[in-house]
Amino acid sequence: MHEKVPERIWLTIPGALRYRAVAVRVVAEAARLVSGSARHDEHDLDEHDVRDPFDTAVVSAFMEIFNNVAIHAYHRDEAGRIEITITTRERELIIELADTGTPFDPRKVPELPNATELDIAALPEGGMGLHIAKSMLDDVSYQPGPPNKWRLAKRLPPTTQIARS
Amino acid sequence: MLTPYEVTLDNNATVLTVRGSLDINTAPALAEEIDKIIEAKPDKITVDLSTLELIDSSGVAALVKLYKGIRSTGGNIGFSGAKDQPLAIFKLLRMDRVFDL
Repeated sequence: MHEKVPERIWLTIPGALRYRAVAVRVVAEAARLVSGSARHDEHDLDEHDVRDPFDTAVVSAFMEIFNNVAIHAYHRDEAGRIEITITTRERELIIELADTGTPFDPRKVPELPNATELDIAALPEGGMGLHIAKSMLDDVSYQPGPPNKWRLAKRLPPTTQIARS
Repeated sequence: MLTPYEVTLDNNATVLTVRGSLDINTAPALAEEIDKIIEAKPDKITVDLSTLELIDSSGVAALVKLYKGIRSTGGNIGFSGAKDQPLAIFKLLRMDRVFDL
């Protein structure tokens, strides 16, 4: 079987939180192209319908990185843009985000405490975003700029059968 | 578009239903409602997550705030119905055990 030729989707979007849902829709559909998951109800486009583990991982991580760019790079200012490149391969999805905002220092993100080892008062109310992204994906890398570049990659587990029509 | 949350009373127990996407855009409105709920010091509250489709870290933070607030006033809080992406996030953060999901 020949390896599927990588296909690319480009999206330029304001780096503001109110545009995040638009980008999430595109990323969710791109994840479906790789995972082969079908919409639960193809007529209900209002439903987010993120059920497949691969789609869940990709969408969860992307939401956190988009938040990070909009808040920390662009400081909730709507002036900046995010250039998003999504590459779909046979069993892998790569999402690259480029922004021209303030560079981010991942080393300053504190380790997430283990909720089961803590008393209630110590349950975290923040700082979970990067942890979610790193845990959900196979690769997360960041290169400060300008432009600042995030690269997110998720591969299908080798045993996963792709139900592609 | 549906309201992302709803507060109802069921046999004197407060029920908070969270729908759709609980995220950085919708969590601030819910956080205001959570402040009101905590202020009312309910004996018991159930958080129904069966129609929650997506959650991000801001949404998790809002639910943690509710959990802490209710427990700090001696109330009981239970979560029910989490599935799909939200359940995966709770499990990843090991909050499924804290929230007893």
